Amino acid sequence: MLMVLPLVTSVAFGEWDTALDFVISIGACLTFGFGSQLLCRTEKDLDWSHGLVVASGSWVVATILGALPHWLSGHEGSYLDAMFDVMSGYTTTGLYLLQDLDHIAHGLNMWRHLLTYAGGQGIVVIALTFLFKGTAGAYKVYVGEGKDERLLPNVVQTARAIWLVSLTYLVIGTLALWVTAMFLGQEPVRGLLHALWVFMGAWSTGGFAPQSYNTLYYHSLSYEVISVIIFIAGSFNFALHWAVWTGKRREIVRNVETISFAITLSLTVLIATFALAKAGVYPDAMALFRKAFYQLASGHTTTGFSTIYARAFVTQWGPVGMIATTIAMAIGASACSTGGGIKGIRMGVMTKAILQDIRKLISPESAVVRAKFHHVKDVALDDGLVRTAFTITVLYVTLYGAGAVLGSLHGIPFVDSAFEIVSAASNTGLSCGVTTPMMPWDMKVVYLIAMWLGRLEFMSVFALFGFLVSMVRGR
Amino acid sequence: MGGRAIRAWLAAAVVLACVFAPGLALAQQPSPNDPTSAELVERPKEFDGKTVEYTGEVVGDRMVRGDFAWLHINDDAYYLKNVEEGAELGGYNSGHAVWLPAALAEQVTTFGDYQHEGDVVRIAGTFNAACGQHGGDMDIHATSLEVVTPGHPVKDPIHPWKVALAALLVLTAAAAWYLHRREPRF
Repeated sequence: MLMVLPLVTSVAFGEWDTALDFVISIGACLTFGFGSQLLCRTEKDLDWSHGLVVASGSWVVATILGALPHWLSGHEGSYLDAMFDVMSGYTTTGLYLLQDLDHIAHGLNMWRHLLTYAGGQGIVVIALTFLFKGTAGAYKVYVGEGKDERLLPNVVQTARAIWLVSLTYLVIGTLALWVTAMFLGQEPVRGLLHALWVFMGAWSTGGFAPQSYNTLYYHSLSYEVISVIIFIAGSFNFALHWAVWTGKRREIVRNVETISFAITLSLTVLIATFALAKAGVYPDAMALFRKAFYQLASGHTTTGFSTIYARAFVTQWGPVGMIATTIAMAIGASACSTGGGIKGIRMGVMTKAILQDIRKLISPESAVVRAKFHHVKDVALDDGLVRTAFTITVLYVTLYGAGAVLGSLHGIPFVDSAFEIVSAASNTGLSCGVTTPMMPWDMKVVYLIAMWLGRLEFMSVFALFGFLVSMVRGR
Repeated sequence: MGGRAIRAWLAAAVVLACVFAPGLALAQQPSPNDPTSAELVERPKEFDGKTVEYTGEVVGDRMVRGDFAWLHINDDAYYLKNVEEGAELGGYNSGHAVWLPAALAEQVTTFGDYQHEGDVVRIAGTFNAACGQHGGDMDIHATSLEVVTPGHPVKDPIHPWKVALAALLVLTAAAAWYLHRREPRF
């Protein structure tokens, strides 16, 4: 269904070979879809493990089939590269291996950005919005995709609410960027396409852009400001958006995730600014702040837009600036948003838990020390919440560490390697030049899996692996 | 190991070979510049404030801002022939943003995109590792521009094998849909 829009785009611009690529891909998707309905028909509702397996499995199938237009375009070095780009799109990462981006068809560019926009809402959310009938199993699949907020009582209504929020922002954001693009000297049609695609890349915190220069291409403070507003909005929890939409505007300043984001973003911007100022990279304070804030905000929201060249992280920013960016990417955006990373709510919960333990230590033994945090409503901090937050954080940190070691084994400096794997696993997409079409195949596979694990927050993918192992064992 | 297991392993090996098979990598077009765009990014301090001569394909848009304009000039493996025209894959695009008088930018008539190979131009100007005038952007402020090779439209031929594959898959999907419709409902 998603491929219809790129097909229409290709036809509208007379890109016949690309249009044919989409007809082939739609044919393959429909054959797979109807074929699997014939072979795997059931009336049983899903249990929790099935929900997780369906969620993670749907991402695998969507990646394999979604890679067809990329591969048929002739711009990918191998089918693995095509799958890498599609997984990067669905997971809103933004790293890519596609070559000669500046000469690709409008249809393929539409597909890249649509992937990331749809992926930001979640493939399952799309299915829930348009296809499911609201079974109990639907909620289990929805949770399997790393979202667990119910904005409305019915999960299908929740999915539709997510789309309502996203489509409203799409219209407003695209218009704002389009008007700006006209003032920047772009022609109306190209300006509109770029505005739509940059919006999709920003709102989904995806980071894909239509030109190889990424957002450096526009050389405009106003374009940067609009894109920052969009990607920060996209990185916020859908529950927060819904609360604001329904009149609870104070939620923005009270929510644990916005507070956590404001603190960690300020700290990392401060570190990077200090390091860049000391190295004398930028000529004045305005340029220094503009570059530091844009890259750090992009990294922290796990967007991946960049107004500097990838290698400039190494050749101009240096280790301290790169480490600050790596920390921002590792922490990432809000839970139940389009963003990735450890997430602000977990940082908030873990910080509160540590402070609670310190208060317990310094209070009289008879004192009862309770802690709570605010996320839409006041929530009491209990051991279960703390344990979950620490478990997922340990899994993220382990993934970041393992990927960094793998890069080092290939001779890549540790800081560069850590930067790149954190970018992949937190679904950010900033690059310091490690990700290229020429990188070793095992690193491509590890980054691809890291993007998937990071987006689904591990458990669904673990459930799929468990399901496959049990199939092999015949249980 | 049984026959079925051997067939399964062979099938898995074929699938993996297809997934990992790299595209053909033949001779690639080297950059005409010394330093190249990549070297400017790699050693920005060394070239900061120096005059550079730079040749490449103009891609994207001419973005006019008052009396000046931005162009983006690539000196990568595709600056003479792009992938759509049959150039071999040669890595990412690589180039630089160039700020120059709008009158000079007007000389460029074809911009590189899917349906065009852009004009190849030679410019001379000052390289800025972090431009004070443009918010810290890495750019080149050009004072001259010469069109070396005019750009041209790129044909978009339809491959017969793609037509055949599309027809086959659409027919297969229609057959699967028909069989699905005939399935008894629970």
